[in-house]
Amino acid sequence: MTAPSIEVKDLSHWYGNLQAVKEVSFDVYPGEILGFLGPNGAGKSTTIKVLTGQLALQEGRAKILRRDIGREDPVLQSQIGVSFEEKNLYLEMSALENLNFFASLFGIRDAGSAEALQRVGLSDRAKDRVSSFSKGMRQRLMIARAFINKPSVLFLDEPTDGLDPVTANQIRKTIREEADRGAAVLLTTHNMHEADELSDRVAFINEGEIVALDTAERLKLEYGKRSIRVRLRDGDGVREEKLPLDGEQSSARLSELAASPDLMTIHTEEATLEAIFIHLTGRGLVG
Amino acid sequence: MSIKRVLRILLKDFSVEPRKSFFIWALIMPFALTLLFQFAFGSLFEPKPRLGIVDQGNSVITTEVQELEGFEVLILTETDDLIDKVKQHDLDAGLILSADFDREVKAGEKPLLEFYISGESLASNRIIVSVTTIEIIRGLEDSEAPVEVETVYLGEPGLPLSIRLVPLIVFYALVMAGMWVPSSSLVEEKEKGTLTALLVTSVRISEVLLAKWLLGFIFATFLAAATLLLNQAFGPRPLEVMVVIILAAALTSMIGLLIGIYSKTATMLFTLIKSLGIFLFIPVVFYLFPEWPQWIAKFFPLYWIISPIWEVSIKGEPLSLVWFEMMIAAAITLGLIPLALLLKKRMLT
Repeated sequence: MTAPSIEVKDLSHWYGNLQAVKEVSFDVYPGEILGFLGPNGAGKSTTIKVLTGQLALQEGRAKILRRDIGREDPVLQSQIGVSFEEKNLYLEMSALENLNFFASLFGIRDAGSAEALQRVGLSDRAKDRVSSFSKGMRQRLMIARAFINKPSVLFLDEPTDGLDPVTANQIRKTIREEADRGAAVLLTTHNMHEADELSDRVAFINEGEIVALDTAERLKLEYGKRSIRVRLRDGDGVREEKLPLDGEQSSARLSELAASPDLMTIHTEEATLEAIFIHLTGRGLVG
Repeated sequence: MSIKRVLRILLKDFSVEPRKSFFIWALIMPFALTLLFQFAFGSLFEPKPRLGIVDQGNSVITTEVQELEGFEVLILTETDDLIDKVKQHDLDAGLILSADFDREVKAGEKPLLEFYISGESLASNRIIVSVTTIEIIRGLEDSEAPVEVETVYLGEPGLPLSIRLVPLIVFYALVMAGMWVPSSSLVEEKEKGTLTALLVTSVRISEVLLAKWLLGFIFATFLAAATLLLNQAFGPRPLEVMVVIILAAALTSMIGLLIGIYSKTATMLFTLIKSLGIFLFIPVVFYLFPEWPQWIAKFFPLYWIISPIWEVSIKGEPLSLVWFEMMIAAAITLGLIPLALLLKKRMLT
């Protein structure tokens, strides 16, 4: 069996007396995207910061590519790519200069910066200063920068936060391509659609703890309610009826409604990740 | 530590920093101050008297005039050439010394001295050239002066204010480049998060800090040397002056780096620089006011670089005279390295 690219065991982190991450454990395998789903302040970014060496490892164990994490390990750092929530680019430099500079730090001579910009749709702005870029363009450049060293492990902190749907889709497509190339991707988000669409597995994190970790499908099966929503004409208005899919009574009622002349629509109601998250934590994903 | 990565960060900084208005301001200010002070107190564009000589013999007058400070002397071979240059005001005055001039003067024969003065020359230059020439000839004649001149100096003795201001401008260049540039560059990297972006690559924090120190060091050396050059203050020992400047740039850049490591934000940086400003600038003030007890200046760290600059570049003294001051400056620079390493740990946590 392939060894995990990211191995985390009982990782904890404190900011003073506040415990931001509580004994989290997970693995991410090559070619896999693990979505860290949780509201703001749940501990997602802190976990990434510890794993990328931005914060010191206080408690627990973590390995990336079978090397213990720690600050200033150039060998390990040359094999990871990070996209931060904050758009930390050199604004006075052009997009191309930014990529070439970071590639040079990895010792890459022919970085293929122009191709990287093409992948994220920034070819026509390659020589423009980043200070003139919109938020979406800067985010795309951040993603291109994270990929510039063809990393084996990718840490992406809210990569599509605040972006328009078109840009967000473009970035998701690029992330999937990287995973298909073989990179292990740890993705934090509080966007359930993104986690659902992009992640091979999803970890729900709340108040520093992982409360569930599995594929989205299994989570839906385990925690979701199988039901059908039926809409019927009711005089001048519309009424709705919800029927659980399990049970003989539901089956009979469904047949009855299906034969009704007032029937307008029938929809299956699959549990969303957000509904499961609320079910597990008692709080929403936003805020 | 990878020297290649240090150089890449340094090259990036040399590419990025000049695009910032602050950097341009730091570059221009010492030059602007030089011009301002020279216009106000000095003689940046006030030419020295220019004297041309055609020496048909081998007169000692020529040698003596060439040895005088404050003269520009041009030796020519052709009389017509000399006259043309005076006519065109390329020279303030021209002197033609006949082949036997020295012998004839010594013999009391009163030879003809052809002396040409440019109509466009300044009155002060005409007087200086004439009086100096007559004095030298009188010396040649070995005759007593008809009067005894008692010279009385009025005003403060010592160097003129325009010269005493040179350390201030050089110091300003060192502070702007050596302290501001690395500290502001580092703090900006912290505030914009680009430092974090660097540190998740193969780059080590020590490489970033070395690159920032080098940025300040190179820029400070260049700016201080350019300022001295503009003020014509390199003196007779330019190489020794460069050694002093290099040491001064090393120390100021180290202080700048420490300030940059310590400051978390630009606001904190400005506060620190403002607070430290008086402490750092005080030694220079002592040079402006020589009547103050100079020993007090020795309590301030940057005295140990200002003093060698003053002695070697302004007064033209050899390095051997200031070796003790330079050793202290070097010791302070080296002594600050452990402090930088200590603060580096604080910065990472």
